[in-house]
Amino acid sequence: MKRVILFFAVLFAALLAVVDPARAIERNFAGSAQLDYHFVPTNHEAKSFPKAFDGFTMELAGKLAVDFSERVSANLKVCYGCHGFEADMMYFDFRVADELNFRVGRFSPDFGAFNLRHDPANHRLSDKPLPYDMGRMLRLRQWNMSVLPSPFPDNGLEINGTKWLGSSLQMDYAVYAVSGFKADAQPKDIDFKLSRSPQSYYVDNNGRPTVGGRLAFTLKLGDASDATLGGSAMGGTYDPENHESYYILGTDLTIRLDKTTFRTEYLTRRTTFDITDRNSFKYVIGSTRGDFFEKHGAYAEVEQSLTPDLDVLGRIDGMYRVGNVEAQSELGRRASVFRYTVGMAYALERGLRMKLSTELWEWSFRDADSGRKLDVSMHAALAGSF
Amino acid sequence: MTKTEVLLLAVTLFACGPKNEGLDTSRIPSDLRSDYDVFAQRCSKCHSLSRPLQANITDDQQWIDYVNRMRRQPGSGISYDDQTHILRFLKWYAADLRAKNGSPPPAASAASLPTNAVAEEKDAGDQ
Repeated sequence: MKRVILFFAVLFAALLAVVDPARAIERNFAGSAQLDYHFVPTNHEAKSFPKAFDGFTMELAGKLAVDFSERVSANLKVCYGCHGFEADMMYFDFRVADELNFRVGRFSPDFGAFNLRHDPANHRLSDKPLPYDMGRMLRLRQWNMSVLPSPFPDNGLEINGTKWLGSSLQMDYAVYAVSGFKADAQPKDIDFKLSRSPQSYYVDNNGRPTVGGRLAFTLKLGDASDATLGGSAMGGTYDPENHESYYILGTDLTIRLDKTTFRTEYLTRRTTFDITDRNSFKYVIGSTRGDFFEKHGAYAEVEQSLTPDLDVLGRIDGMYRVGNVEAQSELGRRASVFRYTVGMAYALERGLRMKLSTELWEWSFRDADSGRKLDVSMHAALAGSF
Repeated sequence: MTKTEVLLLAVTLFACGPKNEGLDTSRIPSDLRSDYDVFAQRCSKCHSLSRPLQANITDDQQWIDYVNRMRRQPGSGISYDDQTHILRFLKWYAADLRAKNGSPPPAASAASLPTNAVAEEKDAGDQ
């Protein structure tokens, strides 16, 4: 650990050394806020958290970007939401060239296309696609969240860059090493609360980094059209003994055709779990391949700008989990959820949007309390940015 | 909250608008409208246009740094050519803001931007 601290201290000193003292330091402050009301008329039990967030939720964020020089910049973003205050970003960028940038500190590693748009001001619906959901989904405890909750700020180092290949094709890449997700000893799944907990000063629980990367290509199709195709991967261990591992793969496609945007992503996470206590599982542990589950998630959405003030959206997203579960779980060996969403975003004022959406949930299993396989939920939100 | 209260709230909110997220293009000089179109298209891919338009940046050099940072964002789709157009519009927008605020014009070095800065940036990137 001391070597890691020493490495970052030397790197930080080197960054400061290249700052041009004669140049004015440029600062840019930005922020966003979203107040969302989530109403679940089909499920009265949802009103008792932690089954779902039913009612008002608030997300606030303030971001400061500082350009020390043409090569060195810093970003600091603090959020306040369901978890209280969170350090979403706190990193330095040292840019050797557009094609080679070193990022050190706390940041969301570059995975998937949604990562860039995770701020509520940057997406038109109140909630995130299911594969990236961070707590607004119904029955969230049964599913233990999504495939990869977004954002997922973590401490580490990322090397990234962008390169134009000719005048129409942009290539982006990123490789990174971060602390990774966490859980206690002999885990059955990732502990997302522990993974974001600042109580241990954001220190890794096993000393073995999670590594990953992303490669994406953006093709300009015309003056008002482009398409981006990307692939992402990350993997590592998450328990203190480094016995259990997770690997996440993802692919994404975004197409903008003038005022129409089509987005789709697919993610899958393979997570191994501890099977020492075989009686703690719902199903008999097989002699082979019985110590992991897979969680798949995908979404496809169309966003259409009808006027400069009004966007309408349609989205289909879902998750599919296959593998053993704990004895008390309501999930089966195979469980799925599909969600169908229609929504709109209306600009009340520059920087202030009203978001309305309705969602139909289709579950593969009945809820133990309500007995339902279908749910309906509605969102009404105000989102502002500056 | 009753249905009536929700309805009243919705009517009130709609009565506030609509207000364009971007700019009224009739306000923009005709020779800069194509630059604005590039700005509006490229700079709304990841965030709303209100982000840059509400940033209240009146310094040309700060816009250059800002747009450079955005150009380097993964999948931005902002080429050097796009950057030239975007900065040409933003230079006008910053001057318009300064005029409204009664701020002094920028220093001569900054006023000569943006096209020189883009070229220098590209040279540095090619090395």
